[in-house]
Amino acid sequence: MSGTWTVLSVALVAWGLLFFYLVRLERRIKELERR
Amino acid sequence: MLLRMLLFAWIAAALIAGFLWAPLVPVLGDTTRVFYFHFPAALLTCVAFGWSTLHSVLYLARRDLAHDAQAAGAAELGLLFCVVATLSGSLWAKAMWGSYWNWDPRETSIFFLMLIYGAYLALRSAVDGEARRARLAAIYSCVAFVAVPFLIFVVPRLYFSLHPEPVLNARGKPDIDPRILLVAAAMFAGETALFAWMLALRVRVARLARAREGA
Repeated sequence: MSGTWTVLSVALVAWGLLFFYLVRLERRIKELERR
Repeated sequence: MLLRMLLFAWIAAALIAGFLWAPLVPVLGDTTRVFYFHFPAALLTCVAFGWSTLHSVLYLARRDLAHDAQAAGAAELGLLFCVVATLSGSLWAKAMWGSYWNWDPRETSIFFLMLIYGAYLALRSAVDGEARRARLAAIYSCVAFVAVPFLIFVVPRLYFSLHPEPVLNARGKPDIDPRILLVAAAMFAGETALFAWMLALRVRVARLARAREGA
């Protein structure tokens, strides 16, 4: 069971990191489009 | 932003459901969970390459560079999902069949797909001139996509495969626990939305780059 939680946690953290990277990227693109 | 947060919650919920709610297939054990990454990524590869080809055809018909940006972005993302499907499949193969790579018909097919679309991106980077690059890439994409249904749907059915029967088998019924299928479908829906978002960002970056070149 602990293995399941470990892999799930890694998957969720990886998805979270990708999500926030994309949000930041979108914000940066918006800034560049405004210029 | 609300839609983005919804997407985040959707995929997170699908992951949690896949790990804590859906049952394990007895033969596969814990590796059942690889299915939730491998299958949607493989399916999305086809969707992305199909989208790329659709916009290549539209480019050839209308000569609008916006279609070229869509085609290029979709091919790049398709290749990315193709790599995800290959890596997850390779890890699964090691656990189930004892080797990372077995030249199984589906493995061979996806290998050729990566070569074909890798060549597409190489072609794009090798040609100068926007219009010329877009035209040549669109023609190549149309020709390349002919191979996709053949490699994905025909070849694996012609030869003996280590892969199990397709989810929708010869009897036309999914031979899989409905909860597993539901999580895989939810992951596919979420990843499709993720693909659409990433593609939109990629197209906007291409537009910015074009504007900068023109300035």
